[in-house]
Amino acid sequence: MNANDVIESYITDVAVRLPRSQRADVAFELRALLMDELQAKAVAAGHDADAAMAIELLRAFGRPEAVSARYLPALTIIAPSDGHRFLRMAVVGLALIWSAGLLMQVWQPLLSGQDVPHALGQWWGRTVIPSLWWPGVLAVGFGIAAWARRRWPQASKWMPRGGDEIPGGRAAVVLGVVGILCGTFVLMEPSRVLDVFLHGRAAPAAYEALTYTDGFRQRQAPWLFVLLLLNVPMLIAVIVSGRWTKGLRRMDVGLSLSTCAVMAWTVLDGPILRAEASDRTARFSMTVILACVLVHLGIRMFRTVRPAPALHGTHG
Amino acid sequence: MGQVEPFNKLELELRRGVVVLATLSQLRAPRYGYELRQALAEKGMPIEEGTLYPLLRRLEAQGFLQSEWRIEDGPPRRYYALNADGRKLLKRLTGAWQGMNGAMDRLLKEDTR
Repeated sequence: MNANDVIESYITDVAVRLPRSQRADVAFELRALLMDELQAKAVAAGHDADAAMAIELLRAFGRPEAVSARYLPALTIIAPSDGHRFLRMAVVGLALIWSAGLLMQVWQPLLSGQDVPHALGQWWGRTVIPSLWWPGVLAVGFGIAAWARRRWPQASKWMPRGGDEIPGGRAAVVLGVVGILCGTFVLMEPSRVLDVFLHGRAAPAAYEALTYTDGFRQRQAPWLFVLLLLNVPMLIAVIVSGRWTKGLRRMDVGLSLSTCAVMAWTVLDGPILRAEASDRTARFSMTVILACVLVHLGIRMFRTVRPAPALHGTHG
Repeated sequence: MGQVEPFNKLELELRRGVVVLATLSQLRAPRYGYELRQALAEKGMPIEEGTLYPLLRRLEAQGFLQSEWRIEDGPPRRYYALNADGRKLLKRLTGAWQGMNGAMDRLLKEDTR
């Protein structure tokens, strides 16, 4: 391979990454420029240009993909300002998905002494590889957000946000109170749903499926309903004051954590409903709600900023 | 020794900020890429070839340069020169640069007092 061949190979690698309409012209110009550069280098070295000299020149010029990118307008998929957030969300999301998968697919074989390496292999194939949808979804979301900010810069201007304001206003809280009261009424005796919709003509198995076990009724149910109903006076206080005061926020966190603790106890303690299938669904739903509440609380805690000076300065 | 790499990075950033202005300033008369690079280097502003040559194309695509192929004692070469918009841009960027340069001079003099 001589110097010309090296330059031709480089030009092809650059040009092939450019739009078809520019390729030939850029390649022709680039070849002339690189020949000028190589000639000057050969004169400075005091001997004819060879392949090694051409390679040295082209490596200094830059990798073909970097050079071809410089010929095109800059394209940003994820805004640099979103880079850290994207990475954090991708890592945290993957960690959650992988942990949940590990718990569901490996925990049981581990306890029962079954084939753990096989379970790990299944976890890899069923959870880890498919979980790559998450960074993909994030990339698309961040890409759309970056595009929207460029397209409508006025709409994406920063606006101050009151930390204590009620999302959705008082109407949303009123709806919340109504929802809690209706929900509690139904949850106290789920088979009431059948009476309302089927006027008592449902099959006995349907009633059985929506009947609580005695254990749940006696142990967790009273706590759960009390905690659920305690939300009502708290939300009424929010409606009256028109905002989430610090005290109300603390009460909300306390209630949420207490409810989570009772839900975890419920899921781990034993059946909630008499029929096995409906019990499985109920416990799964409760686990999902529990996870959502904990994630919500975690995000809120993470987003809390309390300005305070660092204990250690950074100057030496 | 640990200061060398940050210095190089920061100097590169300073240099990046003036590459366009330096390039435009040398294109009042038509020049081809290699000739332009030599002219800039001779005046104390060396710009890497991998940066300069694509930049000429981008400035042309943005409508600030005009270009044509010419054959003058050698192989065909693409000559670039400022067009009317390019001259306006050069004038505005020159004004902005002089303003910043004056401000920096004042700031740095205050620092060395």
